[in-house]
Amino acid sequence: MNEPYVHFVLPLSVISKVEVSRLLSELERVDDEQTQAAVREKVASSAQPQLMVSRQFADFLAQNKLVINTAQERAQLIKQLHLLKEHMPVIHMTFAVDADRESLTKLTQWVRTSISPQAVIEVGLQPALIAGVSVRTTNHIHDLSMRGVIKKNHGVLVKELEALRGNR
Amino acid sequence: MGLFQHKNTAKKSLSDELEEAEELLFDAAFRDELKAHGREYIERVLDENVVLFKQDLDATVAYINTELRQQVARQLDQQMADINQVNAELRDHIATRIDEQFVTYTNTMKEAQDKALASLEERAKKLEEQHDQLGNVLEKSFAYQDAMMTNSVEQSKSKLSAIRGAQEAAVQELASSVKALQDQHAQLSQMLEQTIVNQEAMMIGAFEDNMSRIIEHYLVAALGEQYDLKAQLPAIIQQMEANKQAMVDDMKL
Repeated sequence: MNEPYVHFVLPLSVISKVEVSRLLSELERVDDEQTQAAVREKVASSAQPQLMVSRQFADFLAQNKLVINTAQERAQLIKQLHLLKEHMPVIHMTFAVDADRESLTKLTQWVRTSISPQAVIEVGLQPALIAGVSVRTTNHIHDLSMRGVIKKNHGVLVKELEALRGNR
Repeated sequence: MGLFQHKNTAKKSLSDELEEAEELLFDAAFRDELKAHGREYIERVLDENVVLFKQDLDATVAYINTELRQQVARQLDQQMADINQVNAELRDHIATRIDEQFVTYTNTMKEAQDKALASLEERAKKLEEQHDQLGNVLEKSFAYQDAMMTNSVEQSKSKLSAIRGAQEAAVQELASSVKALQDQHAQLSQMLEQTIVNQEAMMIGAFEDNMSRIIEHYLVAALGEQYDLKAQLPAIIQQMEANKQAMVDDMKL
């Protein structure tokens, strides 16, 4: 496995940076178990235990066609996952209500299709937004919420009040 | 009993007999009679002697008075004579002394008058000189005072004219100040009116702004929980699609 991290494809089940960190932890756990099993196999000639991994980790390995049978492969993958964790694009999305998993998956799909295949989402909650989302990228905040719309149309409200005053 | 008390008796028995006889003869009544008689006699003698003694005493006193008066008169005459003599001597002596003193005083007075006259003449001369000097000084002083007064009057005139000019300038200044104050008052009134109008506009603006904020808060409270994420998702994706290029550009940086 010589694929650098820039070519990794993140499955849709992996949405946030925390989950990427969880993938890395799981890989390190698997590496430890595999190493211990190899040692035990040499000493006691016992059978190698069956590998137990999460769905996200399995999807990640499958979508990227990764093999982690050897310690060298696992070490390389750990290194690449570290690099991915450090450099992957993070988009902060703040919603007015709690975000359900299904909606986040759809949004992740759009983000990875439209912006970057390795982008992850950090989710926040701000009821004052009323509705919509506030998206914060590296250097900008895109206020796509109803509060932003109202604020943008604040002048219209003032004009309406002024018109009301003029009529009175 | 008293008359015969000290009569010696020759014999005891005789004496006893005498005594008895006496007692028989000189009884108490007789003795009382004798006592009264003696007392009367003595009183008569005493009265006679008192009268005589009084007469003698009066004569003696009168004689002594006469003698004493004469003696005193003589003594007084003698003393008066002595006093008159002493007075005459004293008067002579005093007159002599007074004459001597008068002569001395006259001389002294004459000398003193001479000295005083000389001194007065000298002082009069000095006073005349001082008078002349004072006259000169007064003339100079009058001339100086005259010059000073003239100068002062001139200065006062110039000062008065300057004061008058200053007063006129002050009056003009005051008039201009009053005009400036009136202008400022007018400007202030205008500014105040403008400020009131601005304040009113600002307050109305603040009210409208606050009103819009109130409406916004009302909308947040009323609509905040009305939409779940699934319902919003198409609109969110649509808006993100509209901002897609900006996001891509920002993430590439």
